[in-house]
Amino acid sequence: MPNASKRKIRETAAKFAFLIAACTSVAAVVMICLFLFVNGIPAMGKIGVFRFLLGQTWRPANDQFGIFPMIVGSLCVTFGAVLIGVPTGVLCAVFLVFFCPKKLYKVLKPAVDLLAGIPSIVYGFFGLMVIVPAMQALFGGSGKSLLTASLLLGIMILPTVVSVSEAALRAVPESCLEGALALGATREQSVFFAVLPAAKSGILAGAVLGIGRAMGEAMAVSIVAGNQAIIPESILSGVRTLTANIVLEMGYAADLHREALIATAVVLFVFILLINLLLNLVKRRDKP
Amino acid sequence: MRKQRKTPAALLPILLFFALAACGKPADTITVISREQGSGTRAAFAELAGITETAADGDTLDTITEYAEITNSTAVMLQSVAVDKNAIGYVSLGSLNGTVKAVAIDGIAPTAENIQKGRYAITRSFLLVTLGEPSLLAQDFLSFLLSAEGQAVVQDAGYIPVDPQGGYAGGGMEGKLVISGSSSVAPVMEKLKEAYQTHNPSAEIEIHASDSTTGIRTVLEGVCDIGMTSRPPTDSELAEGLSPVTIATDGIVVIVNRENPVSNLTKAQLRAIFTGQITSWAQLTSNTKR
Repeated sequence: MPNASKRKIRETAAKFAFLIAACTSVAAVVMICLFLFVNGIPAMGKIGVFRFLLGQTWRPANDQFGIFPMIVGSLCVTFGAVLIGVPTGVLCAVFLVFFCPKKLYKVLKPAVDLLAGIPSIVYGFFGLMVIVPAMQALFGGSGKSLLTASLLLGIMILPTVVSVSEAALRAVPESCLEGALALGATREQSVFFAVLPAAKSGILAGAVLGIGRAMGEAMAVSIVAGNQAIIPESILSGVRTLTANIVLEMGYAADLHREALIATAVVLFVFILLINLLLNLVKRRDKP
Repeated sequence: MRKQRKTPAALLPILLFFALAACGKPADTITVISREQGSGTRAAFAELAGITETAADGDTLDTITEYAEITNSTAVMLQSVAVDKNAIGYVSLGSLNGTVKAVAIDGIAPTAENIQKGRYAITRSFLLVTLGEPSLLAQDFLSFLLSAEGQAVVQDAGYIPVDPQGGYAGGGMEGKLVISGSSSVAPVMEKLKEAYQTHNPSAEIEIHASDSTTGIRTVLEGVCDIGMTSRPPTDSELAEGLSPVTIATDGIVVIVNRENPVSNLTKAQLRAIFTGQITSWAQLTSNTKR
C-alpha cells in the first residue's frame, strides 16, 4: 500500500500547512492586540482615562493629551463619508445589477474595482490638487475641511459599498422581481420597493464595512482635513481624526507623547471592534 | 410606499447642514499652516520666531494657534501654499521651490549666505547620534563629515556648513554602516555617502529615511549604527547614552502663495499671524501702515 501511505503523508502535510497559515493571521491579531494594550493602557492610566477621552486640549508639549476633538472628528468625518458614499454606492449597485447594458457593465465593473486598488496616498494628493481648490472656489477659506475629507472618503468607500450591495442584490431570488412585475409594478418600482428591501441586510453590511474603511483611513484624510485638533464648528472647519492624529505625530513623538498616540490607537481599535460587532449583528439578523 | 414618505423628512437635516455651511468667512482670512507637534521644523520655527511661552515646569511651549492647519509633510505644505492664495507656512531651506514665495523676515531674505553670516535667525541643526563607542567605520565616517571636504558637500547641497575640523586623511575603510532617521537629513546624507565612498570604495553604507524618532530609537535598540535627527534628542533619550554631533545647519523659510503681495514680514507680524491675533491679510496691511 505505498500509494495510500504516500497520500496520507501528503494530506497530513497539507493540513499542517493550512494550520500554520491559519495560525499566522490569528497570531498577528493577538500580537497587535497585545502591543496596543500593553503600551496604550498604562499611558491612559498616566494621563487619566477621563482626561484622555474627554479632554478637549491636545498639546503634547504641555502634557495635555485630550483626544475628545479627534473622537468627534472621526465620527463626523465617517458620518459624512457614509452620507455621501452609501447612497451613491447603493444606487450604483442597483444600476449595475438591473439597468446596466451588458457592454457598459464590462467597463463600469472593472472601473469600480480599480477604485479599490488605488493607494490612499494617491487619493490624498488627488484631493489636495483637485477637491481642495474646488472647495476654495465654492466656499472660500482654505478648502481643507470636514466636508472635503467626507467627500474624499465617500469616494474611497464606494468600491466596498458597491461590491457588497451588488452581491446582496444578486442574491435576491429572481422570483421577487418577477412577482412584483407580475402584479403590475413598473421595473423601477419593483427594484426599489421589492428587491431593495429584500437585500436590506446585505446592503447594511456593505454600509458597515464602508464605515470601517472610512474610520480606519489615515493617509488621505490627513492630507485634506486640515488636522486642527479642535472640535469642528461647521462642516467647513478643519478636523482631525484619530488616525490622522497618529499618522501626523508618530514620526517625532517620544516618551509619553508616543504612548498617548498608541493609546489613541487603542481607542480607534475599540471603535473598529464595535463596528465589526455591529457587522456580525447585521449578518446574524439575516440568518433566520 | 411607507418608505417614500420618509425620504424628504430624512433629507431635511442634511440640507440644513449644507445651508449652514454656506455662511463663510471673509475672503482674505489667512490660512495658517504649521507642521505637527514634536516636529523639529516646528520647534525650531516657533522658538526662533518667538512664538513660545515658558510653562510652569520650565519647558518651552509653542503658542501656534490651534486653528492652524497641520501637516506632517513638506510636500503637502508646499502644495497647500501653492494652491491657496491666503496661505502662509514654513519649510526647510533645502526643500524650497518655485511654486511658492519665500518671505523676508525683518527685511532679511532667507538665503544661505544670510544664514551663514548669522543675519537670518530662523535656523536649526541637523544632528547625528551614536550610542556608546561607535565602530571604527562609523568614527571614520563622522570624521569625514566634519572635515573640510565633508562640509563642502553640505554647502553644495544648499545647507549651511558647521566649522570644519581639519582635512580628511583616512581612506580604504571596509565594512558596513547602517544610517537611519529624519527624511530632512537623508538627502544631504546621500550626497555625503557618495563623497565618502570615493575614498572608501569597499565601505558599504545603507541610508534609511524615516523620521527623527525612528532614527534615535533604532540607534538605541542597536539596529543601526548612526541615527539622523532634525530635532535635538530629548533628555530621556540622552540619558540612555546617546552622543549627538551637529553636521549642518538648515534655514527655515516662511512661505506664502505667489499671488500674495506680501514679501516682507516683521517678527512681530509673524508672531501675530501664527498665534492667531491677526486673521486676515487686510488687517496686516492696515497694521503696517500705522
